[in-house]
Amino acid sequence: MTGTALLFLVLGLGLIGWIAGRARAAAFVRSAKGGPRGTVNSLPYYHGWFVAICAIAPALAFMFIWQSISPSLVTNMVLSAPAAADLPQEGFARAAILSEARAIAQGFQATAFQGESERLVPLYKGALAYYKWIGVAATLSLLFAGGAFAFTRIKPDFRARSKVERVVMFGLLVASLIAILTTLGIFASLIFESWRFFSMVSPFEFLFGTEWNPKSVVTPGADNGYGAIPLFWGTIFIGAIIAMIVAIPLGLMSAIFLTQYASATVRKWMKPILEILAGVPTVVYGYFAALTVAPAVRDFAVMLGVSNAASDNALAAGIVMGVMIIPLVSSMSDDSIAAVPSAMRDGSLAMGATKSETIKQVLLPAALPGVVGGVLLAVSRAIGETMIVVMAAGYTANLTANPFATITTVTVQIVALLTGDQDFGSPHTLAAFALGLALFVTTFFLNYVALRVVKKYREAYE
Amino acid sequence: MSEAMMDPTPTDWNGQIMQKRIARRYAAERRFKAMGFLAVALSTVFLAFLLFTMLGQGLRGFQRTEIAVDFDFPALTSGTTAAAISGTNADAALNSMDVPGIVELAVAQQYGDISEGLLTAGAAGNVRQMLIDNPGLVTSKQQLWLPVDSRLDVAFKRDGEPAAEQTVSALAQKDALRTAFNWTFLTGADATDPSAVGIWAAFKGSLMTMAITLMLAFPVGVLAALYLEEYAAKNKLTDMIEVSINNLAAVPSIIFGLLGLAVFLTLFGMPRSSALVGGLTLALMTMPVIVIAGRNAVKSVPPSIREAALGIGASPVQVVFHHVLPLALPGILTGTIIGMARALGETAPLLMIGMRAFIPAAPEGFTDATTALPVQIYLWSDEVNQGFVEKTSAAIIVLLIFLLGMNALAIYLRNRFETRW
Repeated sequence: MTGTALLFLVLGLGLIGWIAGRARAAAFVRSAKGGPRGTVNSLPYYHGWFVAICAIAPALAFMFIWQSISPSLVTNMVLSAPAAADLPQEGFARAAILSEARAIAQGFQATAFQGESERLVPLYKGALAYYKWIGVAATLSLLFAGGAFAFTRIKPDFRARSKVERVVMFGLLVASLIAILTTLGIFASLIFESWRFFSMVSPFEFLFGTEWNPKSVVTPGADNGYGAIPLFWGTIFIGAIIAMIVAIPLGLMSAIFLTQYASATVRKWMKPILEILAGVPTVVYGYFAALTVAPAVRDFAVMLGVSNAASDNALAAGIVMGVMIIPLVSSMSDDSIAAVPSAMRDGSLAMGATKSETIKQVLLPAALPGVVGGVLLAVSRAIGETMIVVMAAGYTANLTANPFATITTVTVQIVALLTGDQDFGSPHTLAAFALGLALFVTTFFLNYVALRVVKKYREAYE
Repeated sequence: MSEAMMDPTPTDWNGQIMQKRIARRYAAERRFKAMGFLAVALSTVFLAFLLFTMLGQGLRGFQRTEIAVDFDFPALTSGTTAAAISGTNADAALNSMDVPGIVELAVAQQYGDISEGLLTAGAAGNVRQMLIDNPGLVTSKQQLWLPVDSRLDVAFKRDGEPAAEQTVSALAQKDALRTAFNWTFLTGADATDPSAVGIWAAFKGSLMTMAITLMLAFPVGVLAALYLEEYAAKNKLTDMIEVSINNLAAVPSIIFGLLGLAVFLTLFGMPRSSALVGGLTLALMTMPVIVIAGRNAVKSVPPSIREAALGIGASPVQVVFHHVLPLALPGILTGTIIGMARALGETAPLLMIGMRAFIPAAPEGFTDATTALPVQIYLWSDEVNQGFVEKTSAAIIVLLIFLLGMNALAIYLRNRFETRW
């Protein structure tokens, strides 16, 4: 019996428990003739849920725990058999044989490459079957025990509803805690792997070194080519400078035009178009940047007389990224302009200012904190953006402000370092986590500041 | 008060100075408005340019060039009968017939010195399939249309290498080439030869990944939204949950990929590049989006509904699950679809969990190694072979159609079911 089949069996039996519990409670309701229905505390289906939860919850919890501990039990049983006594003691060879025998026994692999593993296959099959049936038997007995216990508890005055509602509340709380767990998971994994990285490469070299040319074997104390300054510069240059030069004027002016000048019809059509711009997947932008924009930018550079223009130049990636960000800047500016009290606008217009004077001298200064918050969010999005730069910007680290040169970014290097079949503990893989940590901390900080700015500003006008 | 404001002389609005000043201010007004219009127009033009570029290149990807090849089957197969290659022994009979050899011979007989590299690698498989579908072919002379090599395919559709151009123009003069719809592209998997690739495998991988994402992110997101909006007490824990969710919604997607790599692959030992791990990773990314949309939807249900339900004796849980949730569901669904659309287009986290391998078959289960549609686009965009350019754009068209469809569905749901209170 596979895990899926067992899961469906458990759920099916739970359904039967639900029906049985409900039927029993319904019988109480019917037997309470003459009197008001209030003699039965809870509606029948709450009794059904009570039985179903009591039956399923322990069984599922057991299945989950069993899933994680049974592999080691199986391995122990195989190792304690006499046939396994003459296995090589050395860790790696031993593990390879065991995992191969296991794969064959489970049917994932057809033939053995190592002679010893062939011998262990029947042992593994036996152990797997043994523990599987123990698991199935224990799951089902837990299920029946829980179900029977709940079924006997059903009485007219049993408070099934409050019990079920307590479980529901617990479920709601657990669902909300998943967000905290995810954040902690991200933080813990980044910190842990970065810690391992910084035990090999000095944090000083990583943060202040100017040469990025990571070696796969590191020597402590020496320069290993893990200086991330060129990557940080590239990320800022593409994401926070070039992209923003495109996105801020276009986004802000679009928002002003759509909210202050455009007729209702134009607004109705143009807003969804800007939203489409935000909905295009980044891989499509990346392909467009690499295929169309980058060659055009290079030709333009050659026309200007820049001889060393690269085909994977920073400008193309930055421009396309800026276009991707336009809707974000536009909608944030839109919100903050709309939040300016109309009395301020009307006052300015009544004094005889033109619309553009009102916008430039009244609305924008008043909305500035919100716009700044939006720009900070946009920067945070741009520096974390991966596919556009992976496809259109280069892989060579370059500490230059020449927009026609190849420049690499943090996200490009994360992808590059994790490409290829490296061992998880290698400095390359760990360096990707250190870069990830730097990225995470920066975006977290930017988002925090942006949200604070926006919130504070909203309160000022409320 | 200053001197100027005390000046009792009224401003001479019709005077030359004032008229000039007004003209200048109105000109500035017009310039400002034109700049705004220009900004919107530029964004629109960029979008249109992007879409037209993809369409222009991608539509060719749905077509393939075919060449007419005459098969004198009785001579080539030394008189195999239709009965011999049908029924249960068909496979063995076809294997002993050496279909690739027959195809090569037929092409060599017809096209002589240019026959080298004329057909795509999968052409013999096509002939074999035709014979299985219609064994009667084998008893007579037949003209079959077979897909040509990708080099010639590119040369026939647009400009290719000079050598290929020459071959193509020679063939075109004989009327031996035609353009046909490329079914392989919709039903096949990744391949090394661009004329034999298809997106079905990647599409199926994406569907399976999305199924896992939806199954996990939707219930968790909705329950968390209900908890935060309806029950959560104002305390430290609630604040932490809110900060986490707002932060997760803005974390770069590649960080979720690193989380998936460190936790799901390395710590839990789940299968690399599988739909299961991809779905889990994307679910963590989509969940905050659903929570935020869900909270807004729940918030917009008026308090009078809750008070009325409480007033006739409903418990707090009943109020939420019988009244608030059904009323908020359209809004929640809209947010979910938008979140799912974003997850469908996401590439970076999937690259992190190993979905960048060459996988020439569609996945059978959730733990099989698979690829996803955006990842397939990325992989093809990296290929040097010119034939992949149009395939990449064609795959982008398919992806965009799905995203637009999902967004249109979200807008429809919003307009159809959302109640304004």
